[in-house]
Amino acid sequence: MINWLRNPWGKPRWLKLITVVYILWSIVPVAIAILFAFNAGRSRTTWQGFSFRWFTGASGSVMHDPQYQGALKHTLILAVICVAVATPLGVALALGLQRWRGPGGGTVNTVMLLPLVTPEIVMGVALLLLFLRVFPEIGLGTPAQAIGQVTFTLSYVVVIVRGRLTSIGPEYEEAAADLGAPPHDQLFRVVLPLLVPAIIASAAVAFALSIDDFVVTQYLSGNASTTTVSMLLYASARGAPTPALNAIATVALLITLATLTLAFLVYRRFASGREAAAVAALDI
Amino acid sequence: MQGEIRLEELTKAFGEVVAVDGIDLNMPPGEFFTMLGPSGCGKTTTLRMIAGFERPTSGRIMLDGSDVAQVPPHRRNVNTVFQSYALFPHLDVAGNVAFGLKYQKLTTEEKRRKVKGILDLVRLSGFEQRKPEQLSGGQQQRVALARALVLTPTVLLLDEPLGALDARLRKSLQVELKAIQHDIGITFVFVTHDQEEALTMSDRVAVMNNGQVEQAGSPREVYEEPKTSFVADFLGVSNLLDADASADGGDCSLRIGERSFRAAQGATQARGEVKAMIRPERIGVEPQGTAGDNRLPGLVERSVFLGGSHELHVRVLGGDLLRATIPNDGRALSVGLEEGTAVTLHLTPEGLRVLTPSQPPRSADAAERPVETAPSM
Repeated sequence: MINWLRNPWGKPRWLKLITVVYILWSIVPVAIAILFAFNAGRSRTTWQGFSFRWFTGASGSVMHDPQYQGALKHTLILAVICVAVATPLGVALALGLQRWRGPGGGTVNTVMLLPLVTPEIVMGVALLLLFLRVFPEIGLGTPAQAIGQVTFTLSYVVVIVRGRLTSIGPEYEEAAADLGAPPHDQLFRVVLPLLVPAIIASAAVAFALSIDDFVVTQYLSGNASTTTVSMLLYASARGAPTPALNAIATVALLITLATLTLAFLVYRRFASGREAAAVAALDI
Repeated sequence: MQGEIRLEELTKAFGEVVAVDGIDLNMPPGEFFTMLGPSGCGKTTTLRMIAGFERPTSGRIMLDGSDVAQVPPHRRNVNTVFQSYALFPHLDVAGNVAFGLKYQKLTTEEKRRKVKGILDLVRLSGFEQRKPEQLSGGQQQRVALARALVLTPTVLLLDEPLGALDARLRKSLQVELKAIQHDIGITFVFVTHDQEEALTMSDRVAVMNNGQVEQAGSPREVYEEPKTSFVADFLGVSNLLDADASADGGDCSLRIGERSFRAAQGATQARGEVKAMIRPERIGVEPQGTAGDNRLPGLVERSVFLGGSHELHVRVLGGDLLRATIPNDGRALSVGLEEGTAVTLHLTPEGLRVLTPSQPPRSADAAERPVETAPSM
């Protein structure tokens, strides 16, 4: 072993070893959790044979238990609202910030990035107080959850779109203006088409963030009908869970993975490899 | 005839930095006009002000008699060929060329005919469906040209359009560009830092430095009769020497180091501190000890064979290093070309030119003129 690690001619093998160990460490628990979603018995620790009963079975499965169904549906509804609001808003903000060269621009830029580093629990508590005290007419529930999710996903959209805007540069807009296009056409005939990959990527990231989110969504939920998958997982993990819990976690994971993969592929199709890698690195 | 540009006291300041310092230039209709200078001399900023991408700090841009300084770029009848071409990557060649036709009142059939005609002109017929990334650099350059020319502007602005191409392609496109300009007869305003490009293509050249126009004139004028040492130095290799001028009959007597020389060219009326200039091809290289006026001895320090000519770097009495070229015309040489050979250089009065020093750079005086707070990209 020690001799194998000594490899003066190639790249240091101990770096490889650390990488492999880390990958196993991070993937194996998730893989085991997914595996038990397919357990034939009720146990989440003892393997009793392969089955789809917790996905599609007649009782207690993801497909037929109203509690799981409700959580899955609510999660997707929130994700769709979040994407539909955060993406156009984020694109508009990115375009505005890109042009803001006067005094104050730098400060606004920094403030835009704050949600990326603010602990989520702080944002959750702050938003809870906001909806209870300042906007009691909104109160807790789906609208509050959607607003909360948009609040922190917006920054990701802005960062991704601005990155693309910076790499595009001002020249295409100038060329459009030079050829006679008024500002509206410069935006819709040139800038937005060039932003398509970034818009798709940021929409996918917003979608994935919304599905994964627990803290903010939990704080702003009103009642049982506003329970999401992540909240359900948290709440029932300490109760009497069945492998159906693993099954619904698997479904959520698959949706997130599929979205991000799709976005990555679309982005790579349109943009250069380097930008795609940067966006991939942003994913959680 | 349309397409006349007059710049009047045009100034652009970015914060404390004055990029263009009150220049006056006349570009008559149909002329191939070149702004030549090193990077940072203000030539591109001037071009961008004519296009409308930069707003002048002060001054006027008269286009066919009306001031367009405050008109946004999409309402100016000038078009630009960008240094990076800026072809829209999401549109094909036809889409790029037709982009600006949307803003002209034409039928679909007329637009199609125009696109076809202009692609014929730049010899890109059959490339309509290609995306810019599928074209070579030279082809992209021609699409950029077609996209601008199809709008029949009165003035075409070109920002170092050949800068990204290799030397051979550059040469052939220089000829092509000049031919197109000649055929359609509109004003071309061309920006380059390449003196050879400027001299071969232009009707007139403005040599710029530190945001000012050092000299404007025909290529022959600025090359043969440079008015300042900067122009002499920037256009081809020149020998520049510090000199003290005094009167000598009708000509000028220049004291360079220990010796006096008679100079018949340039600012012969100037007195006091001046620059003396002589081109390497105007220096006569003679055997050591040749007698006569306007001569000085030196040692060959380096000897470079250039093919068509031979260049000698000669360290002369007084310490200056002069370059002299000897044409490779097949005649027998009167002197040795080896390093270390002692020679006598003949600086003929007809070759010696008296120059006045260049203007020093000026920086913005915040109290005197309004300045922008934010620099533009």
